Amino acid sequence: MGASLLHYRPWRGQFHRAAWTVWPIARVSLWMIFRRKIFWGLYALALLIFFMFFFGQYLLAWAESQTTEQSVNIGLVHTEPTRLIQLLREVMRLNGSGYTYRNFFWYQGYMVMIVLALAGSILVGNDFQFGSLPFYLSKPLGRWHYLLGKCLAVAVFVNLMTTLPAIVLFVQYGFLDSWTYFVDSSRLLAGILGYGLVLTVCLSLMLVATATWLRRTVPMIMTWTTLFFFFRLLAHALVDGFRYDPRWRLIDLWNNTYLVGSYLLGMGIDTIRLAEPPVYQAALVLGALSSICLIYLSLRIRAVEIVR
Amino acid sequence: MPDLLEPADSRSRNRTLEQTANGQAVRAPQAPRVQREAPSTPATPLPEPLLLLDHVSKWYGPVIGVNQVTLELRAGITGLVGPNGAGKTTLMRLATGQLRPDIGTVRLRGLDSWDARAKCHVGYSPDLDSFYEEMSGWQFVESMARLCGYSRREAQDRTEETLRLVGMTEQAGRRLRGYSKGMRQRIKVAQALVHDPDVLILDEPLSGIDPIGRQEFLALFHNLAERGKCLLISSHELEELEKLTEHVAVMTQGRIAAVGTLAQIRELLDHHPLSILIASDQPRNLAGALLAMEDVVGVDLGTRDTLVVRARNPRRFFQNLAGLVLEENYEVRHLETLDESAHAILGYLLGGR
Repeated sequence: MGASLLHYRPWRGQFHRAAWTVWPIARVSLWMIFRRKIFWGLYALALLIFFMFFFGQYLLAWAESQTTEQSVNIGLVHTEPTRLIQLLREVMRLNGSGYTYRNFFWYQGYMVMIVLALAGSILVGNDFQFGSLPFYLSKPLGRWHYLLGKCLAVAVFVNLMTTLPAIVLFVQYGFLDSWTYFVDSSRLLAGILGYGLVLTVCLSLMLVATATWLRRTVPMIMTWTTLFFFFRLLAHALVDGFRYDPRWRLIDLWNNTYLVGSYLLGMGIDTIRLAEPPVYQAALVLGALSSICLIYLSLRIRAVEIVR
Repeated sequence: MPDLLEPADSRSRNRTLEQTANGQAVRAPQAPRVQREAPSTPATPLPEPLLLLDHVSKWYGPVIGVNQVTLELRAGITGLVGPNGAGKTTLMRLATGQLRPDIGTVRLRGLDSWDARAKCHVGYSPDLDSFYEEMSGWQFVESMARLCGYSRREAQDRTEETLRLVGMTEQAGRRLRGYSKGMRQRIKVAQALVHDPDVLILDEPLSGIDPIGRQEFLALFHNLAERGKCLLISSHELEELEKLTEHVAVMTQGRIAAVGTLAQIRELLDHHPLSILIASDQPRNLAGALLAMEDVVGVDLGTRDTLVVRARNPRRFFQNLAGLVLEENYEVRHLETLDESAHAILGYLLGGR
């Protein structure tokens, strides 16, 4: 070890402001996740859903160019072009409308929940569990910068799996359809971004809050599963099975984001199911939950000093 | 061993002893770097303290972590010693802006330590070994440099320099998981130094370091202090701390029990007379003469030709002893203070803990 300070330069420059530390915090968190194979496995599964939509749209465009044919071959399957078009357009809703993107978000939700449940303890929990916080908090940043950095990391995940692929689908459909699609459907693009924003804000706050509370992976998965799968089943049983008030469906958080997202995409809730709570109620539930998480985090970061 | 025939510290003149109501806490004879300006001090103003804790208290619910602590630190090395639970780590976290005091203020170069800008001036090496185990040492230090507000390029350069400084250049590419305790200490010190802070707060930096590494760290700390940095080092390795600095702050039960050099603190422990072992060819005669001195509170004759004197006011005692030996022509073959070590002083201050 060179005890001499010959090569250790005094720093005379200016540091960036504390707000600049948000991205380095997120970057470290993302690095921790990206180097795990299980994440890439789950992301590959999520991409399968995306590719189903991506190639479905491509198939639709191709089938529409084959309408003069009696039958077309897709691998070993022989079918009439009109039936294929009907299947893709009306059943799978691959028609570049709000339905397409809404369905995409809905299906991606399963993978998003699994990935976030696994990522929570790595992203945030470990800092609290193993006491790494002093390294962060002794640096020129505030507690809110730390939380913002973690939320940003979650936001990157959520958008990598939902908003970004949805935008790719939007662009692809525009290329397959016509340039006017981009202009005529600009509302859809805004809806996609809005849906992504709702997911980003709600999920990042919920994940950071639950991860600071539970810290470990297994309790995180159990809680996340309860929130997003068990409550969905329960809501379904109560409303559709026992004919309870549709507002019981508000306990299904993913459905709430779905309702708000549908509204943002310009879709009415009458197109979803017969018994759905009003959109504003779903938005209220999400807003209240996000506020609770924010308050919890605010209290938590004041007490973070005694957490090891 | 310090030369006990010389005054303990010429700077200790005109310094006062302060005691709390319970009489336990000893306010140190103040060294220049840890001193409140007294009205009678000379005109030369002291530089602005790099770290100032002003009547700071911190509670954890009903438990008080730090109680009315006042401490001013300037360039140099200060050891922070005390038993477990004394409040050392809380004090360090207050000083690094990780905690906000309930009462009082903590200032780093004049800025509130809670302010992010103040944290640019402080580096902290915690005693915890909790890293991101999958990162390499280089990645960890570089990440910490980015958190300090460096651009990517500058962060990389600073990382290289700091890793070289702590002797971790060759091992920097290895994952933290595979590091020994000593390597982890070096990496922790590196991340604390990466932004060239004025105040360096190190919690048990010598723990787990091999003897050669300790010497290197001690040299590094000395060099940093010479560069004008303020180092506050907590350690249970009192022998190593004594090699590093004479200047210590002793904490117990959330309070600063004493601040100053070991000799100064020892001198103030009036209720614990200094024990001095003397070997002489006339121990009985010498014991009789010593008992006549006003500062001597007791003499124990030991085996063979030794005796142990317990004396208050060591400086005056040693001056008188020198006169006595010269006048009466006693032969003194060996002279040793038995309880002037950091261990002994700490033991007295902490009530035998």
